[in-house]
Amino acid sequence: MRLTRRSLLRASGVALGLPLLDAMRPAFAAEPTAPRRMLAICNNLGLLSPGFFPKTAGRDYELSPYLEQLKPYRDDFTVFSGVSHPDVDGSHNSEVCFLTAAPHPSNGGFRNTISLDQFLAEHIGVQTRFSSLTLGVNVSKSQRSLSWTGSGVMIPCEDSAASIYKRLFIQGSAEEIERQIERLRLGQSIMDSVANEAKSLGRDLGGPDRERLDQYMTGVRELERRLVLAQAWERKPKPQTQAKAPIDPSEPRAYMAKVRLMYDIARLAFETDSTRLITLFLDSVNSPAIDVEGIAITDGYHNLSHHGRNESKLKQLEAIDLWHMRHLAELLGKLKGANEPSGNLLDRTMVLYGSNFGDANKHTTNDMPVIFAGGGFKHGQHLAFPGDKNYPLPNLFTSMIERMGVDAKRFASSTGLFRGLELKS
Amino acid sequence: MTPLLLMLLAQAAPPPAPVAGFLNQNCIGCHGGPAAPMGLDFTTLEFQFSNQEALSRWVRIHDAVRSGSMPPGAAKTLNREEFLAAVAAPITAFEKTRAANLGRSVLRRLNRYEYENTVRDLLGAPWLQLRDGLPEDGIAHRFNKSGEALDISHVQMARYLDTAEQALRDVLAAQAARPKVNRYYARDQRRMLNRMRYSPFNNHPERAMIPILGFEAQPDVLRETVPLTVGAAKPEVRELEAFATPAGTFNGNDYSWDQFTAKAAGRYRLRFNAYSLWIHSLWEPLNNKNRPPYWRPNRDKTERGRTLEPLSIYALRPGGEKRYLATMDLVAEPKVHEVEVYLLKGDSISPDAARLFRSRPGFLGSPHASQEGMPGVAYRWMEVDGPIASPPAQLIPASVEQVPKYVKDFLARALRRPHSEAEFQSAMKIVNARLAKDPTQLAEAMIDGYTAILCSPAFLYLEESPGALSGPALAARLSYFLWNTAPDEELRRLAGDGSLKNAAVLRAQTERLLSSSRSQQFLNAFLDYWLDLRKVNENTPDQILYPEYYLDDLLTESAEMQTRLFFAHLVEKNLPVASLAQSSFTFLNSHLAQHYGLPAVEGSAMRKVVLPAGSARGGLLTHASILKLTANGTTTSPVLRGAWVMERILGMPPPPPPPGVGAVEPDTRGATTIREQLDKHRANPACAACHRKIDPPGFALESFDVFGGARSHYRSTEEGPAVSGLGKNGHVFTFRTGKPVDASGDFFGKPFRGIEEFQSILAKDERQLARNLASQWIVYATGAPVSFSNRPQLEAILDKAQRDRYGLRTLIHEIVQSEYFTRK
Repeated sequence: MRLTRRSLLRASGVALGLPLLDAMRPAFAAEPTAPRRMLAICNNLGLLSPGFFPKTAGRDYELSPYLEQLKPYRDDFTVFSGVSHPDVDGSHNSEVCFLTAAPHPSNGGFRNTISLDQFLAEHIGVQTRFSSLTLGVNVSKSQRSLSWTGSGVMIPCEDSAASIYKRLFIQGSAEEIERQIERLRLGQSIMDSVANEAKSLGRDLGGPDRERLDQYMTGVRELERRLVLAQAWERKPKPQTQAKAPIDPSEPRAYMAKVRLMYDIARLAFETDSTRLITLFLDSVNSPAIDVEGIAITDGYHNLSHHGRNESKLKQLEAIDLWHMRHLAELLGKLKGANEPSGNLLDRTMVLYGSNFGDANKHTTNDMPVIFAGGGFKHGQHLAFPGDKNYPLPNLFTSMIERMGVDAKRFASSTGLFRGLELKS
Repeated sequence: MTPLLLMLLAQAAPPPAPVAGFLNQNCIGCHGGPAAPMGLDFTTLEFQFSNQEALSRWVRIHDAVRSGSMPPGAAKTLNREEFLAAVAAPITAFEKTRAANLGRSVLRRLNRYEYENTVRDLLGAPWLQLRDGLPEDGIAHRFNKSGEALDISHVQMARYLDTAEQALRDVLAAQAARPKVNRYYARDQRRMLNRMRYSPFNNHPERAMIPILGFEAQPDVLRETVPLTVGAAKPEVRELEAFATPAGTFNGNDYSWDQFTAKAAGRYRLRFNAYSLWIHSLWEPLNNKNRPPYWRPNRDKTERGRTLEPLSIYALRPGGEKRYLATMDLVAEPKVHEVEVYLLKGDSISPDAARLFRSRPGFLGSPHASQEGMPGVAYRWMEVDGPIASPPAQLIPASVEQVPKYVKDFLARALRRPHSEAEFQSAMKIVNARLAKDPTQLAEAMIDGYTAILCSPAFLYLEESPGALSGPALAARLSYFLWNTAPDEELRRLAGDGSLKNAAVLRAQTERLLSSSRSQQFLNAFLDYWLDLRKVNENTPDQILYPEYYLDDLLTESAEMQTRLFFAHLVEKNLPVASLAQSSFTFLNSHLAQHYGLPAVEGSAMRKVVLPAGSARGGLLTHASILKLTANGTTTSPVLRGAWVMERILGMPPPPPPPGVGAVEPDTRGATTIREQLDKHRANPACAACHRKIDPPGFALESFDVFGGARSHYRSTEEGPAVSGLGKNGHVFTFRTGKPVDASGDFFGKPFRGIEEFQSILAKDERQLARNLASQWIVYATGAPVSFSNRPQLEAILDKAQRDRYGLRTLIHEIVQSEYFTRK
């Protein structure tokens, strides 16, 4: 069955009514400044380079055919070229490194490292009910994800918009809540207990030794405080929303409809301040011939990507890519249209859209296509890094971390902050 | 700059008269003012030592004057001795007071290597993988062993909380698992079968599976006109059924024993019935019209294997992570190969025929293919036997009454000293909190209590008090030095009754620890940091310039093993320290021997090999691992390699490059060599002063490429005769043979023509080699570097080790016996 635009809207449900923002924002843990957020999206088959990359650089660059779709938001995003993750080499496995930048994902002995969202979650996760959300579209079951914890654990993608909606807005049973609180309370009492031991241990220590133990004590007390906060979240009722529960299309062919549902649920999660960190993995590799308005798709998405310059395949890919851009434009528009006391949601939300592949046809991981929108940066530019050597994309992550108000001079293989990316004055 | 100004600025801590006089007379002319060389400005440098940075500056100043390198020119005799004494005396006094009050080292927590080993021992679960689950440790004095760099934050604490609980749960789950033997036939593996059947992503015979019976292809099975297998009805025929393939396993062509996933963690025996095979070829274009014709596998015709094929086995995790397990050699005769490995719950098994090509999109074909055919491997089945029962740590009591005993026992083993009553009570409080609510949750309550102990400061921190170490502290220092884990029963006993402090007992224990296989945990962790061996995988050989290394995991794995085995052998046999520079033997397998151009050895197993006379492959410097990690995959830099040798091997770190000076980058276009660029650089006297000392070891190593292959010429992308072929990825490559390499140089007045002569020069400087290695070990063992005032002690250690030419084991013994080790 092909989905029409109407059924697509019906399926998305949540997209229809603009929720009442102010009424829904939890007043809990009132903060002096409005929250900052991040949505990171990876499409593991990328975008065709000729259509995507602009031909000119700088602030007065000329929009490429793909970026034309984002024209109304030209000043709300920056497009990059000549960027990649150092030593993340060519293969499908590079997708799990999109947010970790861990080198050599296909080598024997490969271990992944912490992803950008989880790194941030360790610092700011406690400020919201969900420290982060890991979403996916058509993700092959629990095999792949963008989110990896510091303990090297892959966080499986949630690929049902309906069940995310349930997690966000439907209250759990008293028993479930109690079990979770119990667990947090245990952590809290363990921290309290070891802090007391440290106190007696530190009695006879001098100078630098004492400083070391003080640092332990600070770490313990800080974790304790976070565990208390997390318990408070469990007890607090979930926010209300007027948005209807979405209905998941069951067919993997409805890929584009699912993408749109995920964009909506992500926005809804931000609007209700349920989380500030979301990753979305679009597993195009695992998608069949998908439904795209205006063109008949003849081959599986992965098969299309190995187009071998076949014109029909290129045309189909281009149609898919353009829809990707239109849905992204819709998301940016909705974020921009949502107002918070301190301004619109887009200004407070960094949206990263890109791919682990520069060229999925050849499996190359250099020259990754990347769009970076919102977050209060001075956008409206094409930051180009021509030449043989790509500029390290992890530098963007460092800039994003800094924007989140977290202190880190480096992330993964970054060499500093992203060059040429400035904050709005 | 006038002397008056100097006195004014430094008045917070005025230097004593002999120092001020000397500086004013000899130094201030250059080193006065913000633009002073090396950033050393005597108008602002205070004469005080509580600041570590200032202290090390004064030590460097002292050393420069003593060696005569400063002040330059005729002034060097002026009041020199007086100056040196006037600088040395207060530094020595300061350090002695500090050591007496606080000790040399700072209180530290376990690093993540130590944490992993300690928890494995404590829970009797050597398979636990915890290291990478904790944040990366800070580094001071090159190692992860110093309190000042081993920080803790709420993030670290949260990880300890999760890691400890998860480890306990995994261990309990593994204890409950029942051992089983299961056989998995290749024909039943979904991903192998998918590789036999063509699909849009797999329509290349180069990547496909070929059904065979014995050595013969089965076209009927391939075309599925007969069943895939005869099944259980004909066991003797089924036994001969296999899947063969001409390619290694790599992303895009990854198959595994997917019908097996480990249900519990533990020790397993894996048996593989597999062999090498020969696959015939056809000269043909493929169904894809963009591909030229080439020698492609003929899936209808195979015969007995002609090659020996190494097969590497990896544990495959959901998400694509791979953990290396073992390598075995497949021969033409079908044979069962058994390996014993540790698996985690959820692991599946991925085999990789390591020598065969790894097809990447756009490949032409296998570089091994010809009219004759091509090599391949064949899999019949894998048998999994396990988890093999091992004596489990007793963690959960049968009844509530036994809880205090179990908690006490766990505390006694977890802490490295007797526990206090308060420590026992606080663990009990955690356990009882749950039991009070629900007495049936005994296991959960014990996990709570143990988790609390594993997060406690007494577990995480190594406690030492100023002065001579207590028995338990000495035992902990010794075992975290030589085993990288907590003391065992015997050490604890000797610590408890104080006899470990007896020099003879301490020596005997040192010998015992070193002789145990656990000392590998020490040597491996030491090499990871001393030589940065943990980073050997961090750069990739360029696929155009070095197609023969690109994607060759077996070479990287073998290279790393070579260095580990070589160094362990020096310690085991107490060989002279000069062996680091030069030795008559090394450790090789067939892959490495071929890489080094040495006489062939057979098989992938590493073994000690005596080198042909005059071979440069002895010592450490010419190991592929070292030459790889000191390069960047594309080019080599004599500056970086030279600085590395000076720092790691000789312990004479060059000063950092002056700010604002760009690095001299090798150029792969081939018009100019790095040597020519550096000669230009060194024509500037300001640059030459340092580069004269830094570059020569790097020049000697220019005879080796980015992976340690011998070379007489550089490779280039633009100039010189072209060399073309097929890479391990099956792609056509073309690089060019560039200009010749010049590996000659002059090392502190000693000229050398190439690597062999440089190795000889280095080997003669055995006291400096020993001084460096001992200094590195002192940091590793105690967390604190050799300080200015401790230098005579280090020389005393060297004097004692001199008699057996600074044998590595002797050096360890003398360090352990010294006050560096026995006092905080």
